Amino acid sequence: MVSASNTKNPIQIEIFPKRLLGPERAQKLLLELNQIEGILRAVIQGPRLPLKVPYGPATGENVLHPDRKIVQINDTTFELAILVGRIRMEIRDFEVKERVREVCENLLPFGFEFREGTFIAKRSTVSDYAKRGPDADPNLRGLFDPKASLDEQICFLNRSDNDIENK
Amino acid sequence: MAYEPQFYPGNTIIAENRRKHMSGNLEKLREISDEDLTLVLGHRAPGSDYPSTHPPLAEMGEPECSIRELVEPTEGAKAGDRVRYVQFADSMYNAPATPYFRAYYAAIKFRGVDPGTLSGRQVVEARERDMEKLAKESLETEISCPALSGLRGATVHGHSLRLQEDGVMFDMLDRRRLENGTIIMDKDQVGRPLDKKVDLGKPMSEEEAAKRTTIYRVDNVAFRDDDEAVEWVHRVWETRTEYGFQPKVYND
Repeated sequence: MVSASNTKNPIQIEIFPKRLLGPERAQKLLLELNQIEGILRAVIQGPRLPLKVPYGPATGENVLHPDRKIVQINDTTFELAILVGRIRMEIRDFEVKERVREVCENLLPFGFEFREGTFIAKRSTVSDYAKRGPDADPNLRGLFDPKASLDEQICFLNRSDNDIENK
Repeated sequence: MAYEPQFYPGNTIIAENRRKHMSGNLEKLREISDEDLTLVLGHRAPGSDYPSTHPPLAEMGEPECSIRELVEPTEGAKAGDRVRYVQFADSMYNAPATPYFRAYYAAIKFRGVDPGTLSGRQVVEARERDMEKLAKESLETEISCPALSGLRGATVHGHSLRLQEDGVMFDMLDRRRLENGTIIMDKDQVGRPLDKKVDLGKPMSEEEAAKRTTIYRVDNVAFRDDDEAVEWVHRVWETRTEYGFQPKVYND
């Protein structure tokens, strides 16, 4: 099949479900995607679930949203502070793309949009340089809000011990 | 023959629903008790008196004024109630109402109300007991679906988002949720927790919502499928552009 993704360079895809995913289905989907070899980086995005009421007369009240849950992907646990609305990934090649599509078809019965494009920044900007300095990890570029702390927003999955030591 | 307002042109079910909302001739689908309504509005404790900002009009000794004689004050104004608000957000995924039609409904059917219309939410300010009357009717009739419409005083985010897996409009403050087939609300409209769960009723099915909505959508009934509505929108634009809304010039 001739496609723009028939290239040796990594390609980027976006999964856009027709419904916002609850934490259980999101965890299931992320677990299945995690089994696929060849996903280099991924971003999950969606509306935020705050811990406290951010504004209005009830400012500061606890929200206790039932969908704000701890999820576990292999050995990594993190708090899912959003309802998952889209997943963007950088993947190795066209074969991986088709495997990702298969997983989505199995786990998203209400339908989804699936597209290829540029969703994660590929090049550093002057602002990136100013915010993160000359030694910033290029793999983290475009994955997180520069104003937030890294620990809250980035999870490393399937990293070898060597990778961690080298960091 | 007495004049009967036509309200809105169109031959589709959407146009029919728009006419219903504007005329206030709505079907009652569920029941909300006065106590529950007061709880979710969050302006006063259930059962308490209405706080007032001035004495009842009858005791005030109003000045002689032909307009005051002509206009009967609303119940809230007569009693000197405070002005309070109710605000709704409606999902763009086939919610029954839209902010504009809530505004038409409030302004045409009720007196002494001040509708404020925004892209994703609609607020109505009125004397407290007048506002409660409107809020109760809004929650009980087909103008609202508990899943696709939300009583939201602050943090209205959700109207333009995709629905959740269970078909409920997203609510960042989790004021209401689907439990055992009905929508319950355990916080007031601004997010303060309540002592009890208020049952807002069963959500509409997707098919029912598609039949009761006032939203033209290409995946339901497209606006361009409604020839009469399109014709009248064209005519309004044409007369506005060419004649500046002066019927006399147009008729000449």
